[in-house]
Amino acid sequence: MSYLVIAIIVVILFSLGSALLGMLRGGAEGSEKMFKSLRLRIGLSVFLFALLMFCGYMGWIEPNVTMLPTQ
Amino acid sequence: MSNQDYYVPHGTYWPIIGSIGVSTLFVGFANQMHGVEWGGSVMGLGMAIIIFMMFGWLGTVVNESVNGMYNKQVDKSFRWGMSWFIFSEVMFFAAFFGALFYARILSVPWLGGADNNMFSGATEALETSKYIWEGFQATWPLINTPGAVGQSGVEFSTGFALVNTWGLPALNTGLLLTSGVTLTYAHHALRAGHRNALIFWMIATIALGAAFLGFQIMEYGHAYHDGLKLTSGIYGSTFYLLTGFHGFHVTIGVIMLTVILYRIQKGHFDSDNHFAFEGVAWYWHFVDVVWLGLFIFVYWL
Repeated sequence: MSYLVIAIIVVILFSLGSALLGMLRGGAEGSEKMFKSLRLRIGLSVFLFALLMFCGYMGWIEPNVTMLPTQ
Repeated sequence: MSNQDYYVPHGTYWPIIGSIGVSTLFVGFANQMHGVEWGGSVMGLGMAIIIFMMFGWLGTVVNESVNGMYNKQVDKSFRWGMSWFIFSEVMFFAAFFGALFYARILSVPWLGGADNNMFSGATEALETSKYIWEGFQATWPLINTPGAVGQSGVEFSTGFALVNTWGLPALNTGLLLTSGVTLTYAHHALRAGHRNALIFWMIATIALGAAFLGFQIMEYGHAYHDGLKLTSGIYGSTFYLLTGFHGFHVTIGVIMLTVILYRIQKGHFDSDNHFAFEGVAWYWHFVDVVWLGLFIFVYWL
């Protein structure tokens, strides 16, 4: 599970970087590349968040820090 | 002007005003730290000068851009400038994430005797804590540390209770990710030339960002009230540094998005020319990714 999460994070970082290169290039082509990369990155991020929430809800994974009140 | 290879800016007084503002801010800050009475007011004055400078300087740049004084070469310079700024931001957060990883993956286990270091003498492997403090345990989060006494004489770090992962942190992650989605819709609307949709999605993005900040302040209130402070061990320090600087970046992002919304209203952009929007959009996506990273590494992995 951790590896899957990290793999998705790496792809998110790559698409963010790719968007940066698109912005740096500019023009119609760069603008298109930037938009598509950012769209990919937000899609993957939402998917990853939903995946974590779902697996947590189903009890398949536990939050790393169980931060319940101790008082 | 616009057929020159390089745009040569006219003389301007904004840089010196900026320098005066920053100097005033730091003189005030230093004196504030030493408990000098006027420290706070001088800090405020410095901040006011900096804000004045930003409005004036950036306003000049916007006016020059709108009046068609810039050419492709200037556009390229702006793009490179934004890229270097982003590079410095990435390095900034990389350093703090690095500190978190170093403390959690290396430092704390070492102090607990991992990897056969000086804390793990073969015969007294279980007594390593005596080198640190009585009852030390290499656990994460490492929050409770003895003897962290503030200037007021109050001892910090006594007991703790943190926020439930399922509560505000998850809600805030949802809010920020949703703002990333609405911003993507705004971006699409801008490229497609749908002005009203663009304005609607921009307002939604700004509102979600502001809601995130509101909940973040609430979470800080809870955490602080329950005993998690900047002095609460390495966990408290890294937690507040990372989330605090992130919150600061969200604040800047919300301000920038608001300025972009204002400029959209003014009709400064079209579907082909909107570098300012692109810069701010990237920044927002970046801040979003940083939060996702924080949420995952602090709460899940």
